[in-house]
Amino acid sequence: MTPLRDFLEKLARPPEEIRAENLRAWASTVPGATPVASVQSRQRAKVAGVIQNIRIDPREGSGSIEATIIDGTGELIAKWLGRQSMSGIQLGMGLVIEGVIGTSSDQIPMILNPEYTLVPGPEHG
Amino acid sequence: MAKTQAALKRVMLGRPMSSGELEHTLLPKWIALPVFSSDALSSVAYATQEMLLVLGMAGAVATSKLVPTSLAVASLLALVVVSYRQTVRAYPNGGGAYIVSHENLGTPPALLAASALLVDYVLTVAVSITAGTEAVVTAAPGMEHLKVEIAIGFIIFVALLNLRGVKESGIFFAIPTYGFILSIFVLIATSLVRCLGGCPQAENLGTHLEVVATITPFLILKTFSAGTTALTGVEAISNGVPAFRYPQSKNAATTLTVMGTISISMFLGVSVLAHAMGVEFTEHSARTVLGEIAHTAFGGGLGFYVVQVMTAAILILAANTAFADFPRLASILAVDHFMPRQFINRGDRLVFSNGILILSALASLLIIVFTADLNKLIQLYLVGVFISFTLSQAGMVVHWRKTHEPGWRRSMVINAFGAFMTAVVLVVVIMTKFLEGAWIVIAGIPILMFMMHSIHRHYSEVRTKLTDPSRLPTDKRAGHQNVVIFVHKVDAAAARAVGYVRSLRPSTATAIATDGAVSAAWRRLAPEIPLEVLEPGRTLRARVKRHLRSRKANLPEDDFLTLIVPEVLHSRSLWEIVRSSRLHRLKASLLTEQGVQVLDVPLVRDQIIPHVDEAQEIARNYVVVLVSAVHNATLHAIEYAETLRPSDLRAVSFGLDPGEAGELADRWLNARIPHPLEIEDSPFRDIATSLSLYLKQFNPNGRDLVVTIVIPEAVVAKTRHQILHNQTALIVKRRMLFQDGVVVASVPYHV
Repeated sequence: MTPLRDFLEKLARPPEEIRAENLRAWASTVPGATPVASVQSRQRAKVAGVIQNIRIDPREGSGSIEATIIDGTGELIAKWLGRQSMSGIQLGMGLVIEGVIGTSSDQIPMILNPEYTLVPGPEHG
Repeated sequence: MAKTQAALKRVMLGRPMSSGELEHTLLPKWIALPVFSSDALSSVAYATQEMLLVLGMAGAVATSKLVPTSLAVASLLALVVVSYRQTVRAYPNGGGAYIVSHENLGTPPALLAASALLVDYVLTVAVSITAGTEAVVTAAPGMEHLKVEIAIGFIIFVALLNLRGVKESGIFFAIPTYGFILSIFVLIATSLVRCLGGCPQAENLGTHLEVVATITPFLILKTFSAGTTALTGVEAISNGVPAFRYPQSKNAATTLTVMGTISISMFLGVSVLAHAMGVEFTEHSARTVLGEIAHTAFGGGLGFYVVQVMTAAILILAANTAFADFPRLASILAVDHFMPRQFINRGDRLVFSNGILILSALASLLIIVFTADLNKLIQLYLVGVFISFTLSQAGMVVHWRKTHEPGWRRSMVINAFGAFMTAVVLVVVIMTKFLEGAWIVIAGIPILMFMMHSIHRHYSEVRTKLTDPSRLPTDKRAGHQNVVIFVHKVDAAAARAVGYVRSLRPSTATAIATDGAVSAAWRRLAPEIPLEVLEPGRTLRARVKRHLRSRKANLPEDDFLTLIVPEVLHSRSLWEIVRSSRLHRLKASLLTEQGVQVLDVPLVRDQIIPHVDEAQEIARNYVVVLVSAVHNATLHAIEYAETLRPSDLRAVSFGLDPGEAGELADRWLNARIPHPLEIEDSPFRDIATSLSLYLKQFNPNGRDLVVTIVIPEAVVAKTRHQILHNQTALIVKRRMLFQDGVVVASVPYHV
């Protein structure tokens, strides 16, 4: 009966939970990446996640662009100042960023002007 | 309740898949063959039968013409397969008749092809399911009177499978298709062995040939055109190239050849056997032709039943081909603005759910109207098929002339010859089948074309008006805010509304009520907002509208006038909306009122209810404008949002694909809109749910912290056109009513 119960349990689980699990599994394959939930403020970290939200703000000086990434453990913001577009930044893409962890105005961990690499997300390959 | 519903849906249809999982549904050849060929292969079950039905009118002698005519049909089939191999190579992204004619022949032929195909798909479902039902009835003669019910049951079954998604149904569908092919080849082999000592003769149960015609060239033509049903479904692979694994074109072309070979062998085999066994067929025959052959060859034993079951199975799967193609074509047409936009939406399982539902409904309707009579339904079938064949191949001729790709001359000649032959057959089909029912399709196709043309014209008119720079809201300061509170009762929701209005500091604020009984309580709650009792009138809508118009007349042209509707909802169920349908109708009818916005302040009763007398001013009002594009309706909504004294104003867009997202961001920057734009992923394509999750970051409580969602709505002049717009807005509004601390503003923009 176990396989059947597993199957039924899988069906009854919210899809968001399954997705979070897939994201965690994917992020753990990126070498050197720290899960978002365990990053420490004011320390350097490398984080991998999928782009969930892109924010452009034309007001701040010459503009800014933010990408919120999720890795199944939490969310983290990558923010680039003085730019209005970033080539290749697309929803659903995998993004690996590295930099010093700060905090956004909404108390979400944030890396300002991080180095970044785009990688295929867990759902693209 | 909602949870149980969601769980039930997951059990029936499978878990929702995120958009990124889309690519995983690519098919290997051995699964693609059954998915895309069941239609073409299954025609074997009825093509020979339809020919015998025509020949039978001239008596038993005429059946000697069966084999030669079948050879002619088989040659045509081979020609069309070779011709479509060229298409598959040239159009790796899917070269259905619509796409090929649209690119090469222009819009009117493309619409003709699209209409023909849509009709064709509906008939594929109706004909295949009916023929499958006949196979069941042949094996179980007692169920004759339940044909319509059985057929509808089959349609529901296939529709459910398809709502789950193509890959899983692909594996599921492979077994019966291969089973059918195997059973027919075993049938042919067995019969040939038994024919060594002289063929066994069919008993032709219930068949009595009455000679009502003589063998004329017209009769032979009619037989030929009846036999061309064997060609139906050949085009399915050319539509489905993107569903193949890489290299897509090559795999698709190979599969097409395999399908053609199997199809021709089975069709000729059945025709030769029917002739050798002396099978005769009339409308009163108790068995189908294939059933009669199987009965003769296997002596009515197990083999007979296996063939019947396999035939029924593959015919039901044939309907599946159309279930893959109809929704896909509908979505392509919707992207090109020839069909309502709702057809673009993929459902929980990444399939085009709306198309699947419409197709099921139309096919069921046909089956009911024609009482599941195969011989009547099949008369409607061929016109659409041959129109699309001809246009598709003609389009390819133009394609080769334009591109001059390597080997273009050879391909062009093949396609040209194919187009010519199918055009000739089209004329033959129309000549021989017009009176028998083809006229219904011939009349229906222009109506469909006209509909698509009108939808296109409507969408492009609206687009022009939405982007018309002369109507763009300008740099001049946006107008001021004026509010009218609709007081139904002086209750907690009214208190919230007053608190909200106080924080807005509008230029003017008034209240209206249907009778004076509330005025004493109102004066206690909001002494500074004068309450006016509406003049009597026929309906609530009419009374409110009259009041708003007279208010509007005394305001500067650019000022906003917002009707604020406080609502206490007693539960989180949608029943509530039915219960308060009077309010709901009022809100809906105000959408079409020029220059009036509606702001909904809902309060679900299980939230903490503020004391009626304390109308607490809100401290923070986060304003979120929902956008999907930068146009006049959006800009208008943003100007409106600016008058709400927001503590934070941002635009958010959900569920765009990456290309659209990039374009939106560029337009946003170009339009110099001084507010941030966020583009949020909606992995399960459920915008209402994504929005609820998104709003959690604000922790709205409805007392001192409120989120106002501003929804721009393009309103068109004619009510019957309204269904083409704002469907998403409707869903979002309904869901947001039950969200704590969320206020919803509809900002109509009249085009």
